[in-house]
Amino acid sequence: MKLLLVEDDRETAAYLKRALTEAGHAVDQAHDGRDGLLLAVGETYDVVVLDRMLPQLDGLAILRTLRAASVKTPVLLLTALDGIDDRVEGLEAGGDDYLVKPFAFAELLARVNALARRPPPQDVQTTLRVADLEMNLLRRTVVRAGQKIDLQPREFQLLEYLMRHAGRVVTRTMLLEAVWDFHFDPKTNIVETHISRLRGKIDRGHPGSLIHTLRGAGYSLREPD
Amino acid sequence: MLRSASLRLAALYTAAFAAAVIVLGAVTLVTTRTTLSQQFDARIQSESAALVREFRTEGLTGVVQAVQERDSTPGALDYGLQGPDGRPIAGRLAQARASPGWSEQRISQFGHEKIRTYAASLAGGYRLLVGGDDESIEAVDNLLAERFSLAILGVVVIGLVGGYGLSRGMGRRIAAITGAAEAIIDGDLSRRVPAAPRGDDLGRLAATFNRMLDRIGALMESLRQVSSDIAHDMRTPLTRLRSRLEASLQGPPGPAQAAAIEAALGDLDAILETFAALLRIAQIESGARRAAFQTFDLCAVARTVVDAFAPSAEEAGQRLTLEDGEPVVVDGDRELLTQMLVNLVENGLRHAGGQAQVTVRCRVQQGRAVLSVTDDGPGVPDAERERLFDRFHRLEASRSTAGSGLGLALVAAVAKLHGAEASLRNADPGLEAAVAFPRRS
Repeated sequence: MKLLLVEDDRETAAYLKRALTEAGHAVDQAHDGRDGLLLAVGETYDVVVLDRMLPQLDGLAILRTLRAASVKTPVLLLTALDGIDDRVEGLEAGGDDYLVKPFAFAELLARVNALARRPPPQDVQTTLRVADLEMNLLRRTVVRAGQKIDLQPREFQLLEYLMRHAGRVVTRTMLLEAVWDFHFDPKTNIVETHISRLRGKIDRGHPGSLIHTLRGAGYSLREPD
Repeated sequence: MLRSASLRLAALYTAAFAAAVIVLGAVTLVTTRTTLSQQFDARIQSESAALVREFRTEGLTGVVQAVQERDSTPGALDYGLQGPDGRPIAGRLAQARASPGWSEQRISQFGHEKIRTYAASLAGGYRLLVGGDDESIEAVDNLLAERFSLAILGVVVIGLVGGYGLSRGMGRRIAAITGAAEAIIDGDLSRRVPAAPRGDDLGRLAATFNRMLDRIGALMESLRQVSSDIAHDMRTPLTRLRSRLEASLQGPPGPAQAAAIEAALGDLDAILETFAALLRIAQIESGARRAAFQTFDLCAVARTVVDAFAPSAEEAGQRLTLEDGEPVVVDGDRELLTQMLVNLVENGLRHAGGQAQVTVRCRVQQGRAVLSVTDDGPGVPDAERERLFDRFHRLEASRSTAGSGLGLALVAAVAKLHGAEASLRNADPGLEAAVAFPRRS
C-alpha cells in the first residue's frame, strides 16, 4: 500500500517509515503541515497517517481542508492528547481512526491495514463469508460447514468485526473500541476470554481453526493454514 | 494623589455640593430682596395714606405739623410737602415737578445714596412726598452674599479634607490588598489580606480574595501532592525498568535479552498507563467534561460491563452478576460512567479473591439512581475505607497485586463530576461500593 506519513518529530518519523516499509508499504513523508497537505492533495494514497500537532498547519486543519476538497483517503490521526473530547473532535473533523501516543507499532500497523481496503460504505453486504464460515447479517445467523452456530449478541458482534477484517490483524484495543465501546484499557483480559469462548463455538470440532492469535499483536480471522 | 479614585470622587462631590450651595444662595438672595422691597414699599404707601387722611381731616396745618413731627423722630422715613408752585413747605424731601407715583432719586445732601419716593397729590395742588432709602435692603443683600461665600468656602474645605481623609482610609485598605497580591506574585503564597473589622464591601472583597487564595493554595497543595505521589510511585517501576534494561545490556544477545526487553516494555506500558490515568483524573477534576453529558439508561451500561467481565470472572472461579429492573435514567457522560463501573467491578473481582461473588446493582432508591458493586471478600478495615478514594492509595496488603492505585480515585472524580456521592461500606462480609446520583431536575 502507499502511505503518507505526516509527522514532525524526525526520529519517530524515521522509525515509523522503516517499520512500515518493512511491513511492505511504500511510505512518503512530510515533516510539517503545509508539505503534508500538498502531498495529500496532489498524490493518491491508500491511508494518511497524520499527527495532530504540526508546525505550519495543524493536523485537524489539514484534515478539514482535505475533506472539504472531497479527498476521501482514510486518515489515521496520531496524537499526544488523550482526552475524550480530543478524540471526538478528531473524528468529527473527518478522521477515520485515532491513536494516542505512545503506541505499540503493531497497533499502528493493524489500524493502518484495517483502514485501507475498507469496503465502501454504500456497498451494503448482507452476507459475510470466510472459508466455510458464513454470517447472515439480516437474519443474524452463523453457519459453519452447514452447521448452525448459536451466538450471544456480543459474540455475534465480535465475530462480525473479525469477519469484516478477515485476513487482517485486529488488536485488543480495536476490539474493545468496536465491540464494547470501551475507549480505555481494562486490566482484566476480557478480550482474550471472549475470543476463546468464540473460538470454542466456531472452531471446535472443525479440522482447521479460523481464529488465529498473533502474539504481541492481536487476532486474525482467516482461512486455515 | 490625583490617581486615588476615592479622592477624585470626593473632589467631584465637593464641587457639586458647592454648586448646589451657590444656587441656594442666589435663590435666597432674590427672594429676600423681593420680600424686603415689597415690605418697604408697603410701609411708604401706608405712611403716605395716613398723611393724606390727616390732610383731609386736619387740613394743611395738620399735615405740616405731622410732617415736622415725624421728621424729628429718628429712624423715620423722609417726608416732603410741596405747594402748588412746587416750593417746599415742610420736610426734607423735595422734588421738582413731582408727578404722582413711584420715583427714585439720588440725593447726596442727606448722606444717602438713593431715595425711593412715593408722591401723592393733595387737594389744592399740594404734593406729599414720602420716601426712604433702601440701604437696609442692600445691607441684607451684602450680608447674605458674604455668609453664603463663607458657607461655600466651608463646604469646599470640609469636602476636600473629608475626601482626603476618606481616600487615605480607602487607600490604606486597598494598599493592603495590593500588598498581599504583590507578596503572592513574589512567591509568598501564605500571605492573606488582613481581615476588615467591618463587613462592608471592601471587607467582603478582602474575604473573597482570601477565599480565592485558599482555593489556589489547596490546588497547589494537591498538585504538589500528586507530583510527590508520582515521584514516589513512579520511582519503583522506573528503577525496575532501568535495572532490567541494564542487565539485558550486559548479558549476551539471545532469547534472554529479548525476554528482558519484552518485560521492560511491559513495565513501560504500566508506567504510561499510570500517567494516562493521572491525566484522565486531572481532566475530569477540571470539570471540562460536563459538555458531553447526555441522558441514558444506567442499567444498559451496567449490562454491557457485566456482560464483558462475567466470562473472565467465571474463568477465575468467580461469579459476576447483575441485579437490575426498570431502566434507570441518568444525565451524564456515558464513557466515563462506563469506565467508573469497570474500575469498581475490577476492584471487586481483584480484591475479593477466588470463589468470590460480585454483584452489580442498578436501581432507584429514594428517587436517586444508585449504582453499586458488592463483593463477599474480606472487606476493608474501617480506618482505611475513606482513604481508598485518594490517589495512589492502596492497602499495604495489596501493594504486591497489579494496579496503579488510581482506580478508586477515578471513581471519586467521575462521581464528583456528576454531582454524585461515592461511598464504601462494609457489606458483612465484603465491601459495597455505591454511587448515588443526584435527583434529576
